[in-house]
Amino acid sequence: MVRVSGYDITDYGDMVDCRPRMSAYAEALKRAVAPGCTVIDIGAGFGVFALLACKYGAGKVVAIEPDPSIELVMPMAQANGCADRITVVRGLSTEFTPDEKADVIVSDIRGTMPLFENHIETIVDARERLLKPGGAQLPLRDTIRLALAHAPDAYRLCERPWSVNEYDLDLSLGHEFAVNIPRRTHLGTEALLSDPFDLVTLDYRTITDPGLDATVELVATQDGVAHGLLNWFDAKIAEGFGYSNGPARPELVYGQNLLPFPESVPMKAGDRVLARIRGMLAGGIYIWSWQCKIVDGATGETRHSFNQSTFKGSIRPAARLAPLEPGFVPTISAKLQIDRDCLSMVGDGRSLCEIADQLIERHPDDFTSIDEALGRVRTVLHRYAGSDQ
Amino acid sequence: MSDILTQTWRISDDAVANAVGGETVILHLGNGNYYGLDTIGTVLWDGLKAGKLPCEVCDAILAEYDAERSVVESDLAQFLEELEANELVEAA
Repeated sequence: MVRVSGYDITDYGDMVDCRPRMSAYAEALKRAVAPGCTVIDIGAGFGVFALLACKYGAGKVVAIEPDPSIELVMPMAQANGCADRITVVRGLSTEFTPDEKADVIVSDIRGTMPLFENHIETIVDARERLLKPGGAQLPLRDTIRLALAHAPDAYRLCERPWSVNEYDLDLSLGHEFAVNIPRRTHLGTEALLSDPFDLVTLDYRTITDPGLDATVELVATQDGVAHGLLNWFDAKIAEGFGYSNGPARPELVYGQNLLPFPESVPMKAGDRVLARIRGMLAGGIYIWSWQCKIVDGATGETRHSFNQSTFKGSIRPAARLAPLEPGFVPTISAKLQIDRDCLSMVGDGRSLCEIADQLIERHPDDFTSIDEALGRVRTVLHRYAGSDQ
Repeated sequence: MSDILTQTWRISDDAVANAVGGETVILHLGNGNYYGLDTIGTVLWDGLKAGKLPCEVCDAILAEYDAERSVVESDLAQFLEELEANELVEAA
């Protein structure tokens, strides 16, 4: 559950306090760790898996994490008497070259879904470069599951205030975006209008492709109003140890994901939903698309046809998307020129103040004070803080 | 008038569009490529999405903009060929 930024210590605490998750990882680690073995903890956060690996007898543990939370690993290791066995790497595992490959690699860099940011690429790289042949990978596999759902609470922000508001305003434009944004939720089995369907199993011992393109047919098992497709995952950390954030289970730190329909859809038992679900990794972010046909169970007639995507849900002026086109030819804006000048002065002995002075000299119309220029220098350099460690 | 302008077109299932501020960016879900449309391109795209024929979109453009019919028809035909070549639209 670790990503480059965005978590604070209470989020990490929440992950450790998520008992089904943590007990499965702890038991799997205990079984996988042999005395003296080497363990790599990817997306270590403050290092709880690294600490557990030491506790279970690992001889050497490498904790890798780009987030500043990694600074807590060594003090925690000292408090637990294992600082001599832990090495801390602040950065990405994909940029790390080990002295020795690992007997065990442990990670949890999922989001609400296992297909999250660079999770799969990281796992593939770790499996191929960091793990000894025959070494253990934790987790082993995840199965993404999906069902038709009645979810009025999760769906509320798709409708309000866009389609319904008390102010007699036409806000319907917002609805077009809102219904293309998955909603995080947690629903029980009573919310399911169809049986769950196994969309895909991600076997981390063999997976290579981070993308998903799967079709599914869901049949309504009861009458009800459908608001979208609910998805969750069942995790297998090691054989015998796993957990699920499915509707039949207690809420976990991951949450569930509702892919909303553009409108509430009354369903009769026997009606079908034919869906194509696609996940495309673009620039470290998944673009999810869900194309659905709602077919009348009695007549076979297609009642609704939806084509939705998180790409449609993003309010971004076209000009900001243009650089994503491979053929786009970038030009130097005034802002870019300032950053470029700033970076060009780093490393030749100038202090922050001297760089700021130079920026004012080169861009007198852009700064009204030395403090403003200094602020800009700090902002630019902050992007790279700690990246060389 | 080119046949391409009197034909019915449908948006490909592989194309998803994000439209803000009168401009549109299309993502092809199959190959991950992005395509930017200007204002006139967006008018055509929205027209096709609404089930209009390109020649109807052409009439709407001519009603709003001071332009030669032959130029608009030629531009739209060329634009449609590009959309089809990039698998963003298909003949219905």
